[in-house]
Amino acid sequence: MQEIYLGIDVGSVSTNIIAIDDKNKVVHSQYIRTNGQPLDSVKNGLKELKKNLPQDMKVRGVGTTGSGRQLIGVMVGADVVKNEITAHATATSQLVPNVKTIFEIGGQDSKIIIIEDQMVVDFAMNTVCAAGTGSFLDHQAERLGVPIEKFGDLALTAERDVRIAGRCTVFAESDMIAKQQFGFSKAEIIKGLCEALVRNYINNLGRGKKLEPPFVFQGGVAANKGIKAAFEKEINEEVIIPKHYNIMGALGSAILAKEHLEANGNPTSFRGFEAADLDFVPSTFECGDCSNKCEVIKVELNKEVVAMWGDRCGKWVGSL
Amino acid sequence: MKVSFPYMGTTVVYKKLLELLGHEVIVPPKPSQRTINLGVKYSPEFACFPLKVIMGSYIEAIEKGAEVIITSGGHGPCRAGFYEKVHSKILQAENHDVEFIVFDSMFRNFKGFFRNIYRIKQNNSWYKVSQSLLFVYNMIKKLDILEKEVETIRAYEIRKGETTRAWEKIQDLFDKASTKKELEGAFNKGTQLLREIKQEKVHDSNKIRIGIVGEIYVVMEASINMKIEEILGSLGAEVERSQYLSQWINYNVTPKFINRTHEMEILKKGEKYIPIPIGGHAKQTVGHIVDFNERGFDGVIHLMPFACLPELVSQSIIPKITEELGIPVLTLAIDEQAGTANSLTRIEAFLDLIQGKKSKKIS
Ligand code: SF4
Ligand code: SF4
Repeated sequence: MQEIYLGIDVGSVSTNIIAIDDKNKVVHSQYIRTNGQPLDSVKNGLKELKKNLPQDMKVRGVGTTGSGRQLIGVMVGADVVKNEITAHATATSQLVPNVKTIFEIGGQDSKIIIIEDQMVVDFAMNTVCAAGTGSFLDHQAERLGVPIEKFGDLALTAERDVRIAGRCTVFAESDMIAKQQFGFSKAEIIKGLCEALVRNYINNLGRGKKLEPPFVFQGGVAANKGIKAAFEKEINEEVIIPKHYNIMGALGSAILAKEHLEANGNPTSFRGFEAADLDFVPSTFECGDCSNKCEVIKVELNKEVVAMWGDRCGKWVGSL
Repeated sequence: MKVSFPYMGTTVVYKKLLELLGHEVIVPPKPSQRTINLGVKYSPEFACFPLKVIMGSYIEAIEKGAEVIITSGGHGPCRAGFYEKVHSKILQAENHDVEFIVFDSMFRNFKGFFRNIYRIKQNNSWYKVSQSLLFVYNMIKKLDILEKEVETIRAYEIRKGETTRAWEKIQDLFDKASTKKELEGAFNKGTQLLREIKQEKVHDSNKIRIGIVGEIYVVMEASINMKIEEILGSLGAEVERSQYLSQWINYNVTPKFINRTHEMEILKKGEKYIPIPIGGHAKQTVGHIVDFNERGFDGVIHLMPFACLPELVSQSIIPKITEELGIPVLTLAIDEQAGTANSLTRIEAFLDLIQGKKSKKIS
């Protein structure tokens, strides 16, 4: 019988569900687009996962992370619900034990995490500015008519350097058009864009931080060779891309669940793969009891309220 | 005349003082999303966040019938120096007929200070005025003592939210007290309420203590700082703020040459990092970080209002302080769209960082 731990990372763009064994080895992983339906995407992911795992395995624990961690935590019966920063750092120090600096760029946000002796000592997170995230690249790839998968390889073929103003998406776009008219090739423009994104990222998130090697680059954007090259040029050091670069959040939360249960010896609160068939109904309502008019989120299972949050005063959270 | 004041922290005390002097007091509603929206709408776009919220709060007070607004004057070089001017100009432009009474420190402007006192004194005897001041001062001191306990107990309460509910009850009790004896009674009742809260037993070495520093308004007013104290408490951390009303009063009513208050000490501790006054509470911010570190706190959360220049300066100095002293500091920007979900992620990660530092492990 194989014992496994599940990790679920629910972001606004994508959901990752993975299973690890008791040696923290990834047994299987599942990628689903969230499409604004975190519950459905996790349900589908769980079903797929079950099909792909040996029949005699047993789930010993489950952890959730990402912006939907609370909701999904309730649904699956998570043992550990953790923020993305801790989850990512946990996974990285597992795969690259001596890591000092983590660059993480996902579709909707980006982070930098500074590690000393396998401990987080500093971090920063960008959630407002799109110019430092994957969606910036997606958008520009579309404009240039280059599939995003080819983006990075193309950047590597550039012969000349071109500097594109990347302070903000809007500026980058108009500057890009101007540079195209100057006769720079697509490859050169793309390289310029990658460098703009990296400059932006370092300026925004790295400010006031000691950036020391070894550097690890992870998150969906790490697949992009152009960005990796731009990082290496900017900091003049090698940048490591870990094997599971795009599922680090899920991996970290699975490891955290495992460590948590090993430490306290409790059984898991996992609801089982049948959770995928349970009828969870999330809904929101506006509380009108004071002028804050909070948007309160409510999750029901069989007409019974199982979780609530989003209120500022705690009257709903506390009502369970 | 119907008087009001800016909403900040434990408002029962301002209300009490004015009531004792026989005024009809309009307590502005606790700042809510509506307050912020109003403030944002009527304030200059690039004004700092507290100016906007207070603007909204005044408008709501006026809606409830306030005719006179009593406030304390800030001083430059930052925007605090022209708060009242900006506010009254905007209110005038919007055809709100209100009068401002602005209290400056009595050492800065002795004459003005007494002129103002005269105006709110009404027909009360000077004896009555001094008794009322003394009474309210005692009330503030007692409330601060209890609040500090609340900030510790909250971290260990077994039933979530119990401490906060007790604290609200305590403020109510104080609101009803008007004599020395009643005040004593409210204090005793409050102490008892807090003692009845069931707490988890946590070993001293596992306790987490977090200091909160930053600009005074966002530090003191929970409704606009995402209730940072309650969040930290619910995550199991004790908190202490850099500002309490009683300290503020001690500092502001003591003449410079005999001023040995806590705040003077704090300023001295920050001297090394910000040698000149740059307005707001930037010097206090860095001084308090040094102080919290010396007192063995595990970390500091720095609240920085959007568009606040002094705190922007302190923010840029913080990495150096952390490097020298080793105390972790998390800066959170506070504005009208302070995304609670994202801030929560940061706060959780920050507490993990601190926990990790204690147990030498990531989680
Ligand atoms: S949930 Fe609480 S804070 Fe939010 S509107 Fe209702 S009463 Fe007000
Ligand atoms: S300290 Fe900052 S927030 Fe306060 S008045 Fe000055 S600029 Fe505004």
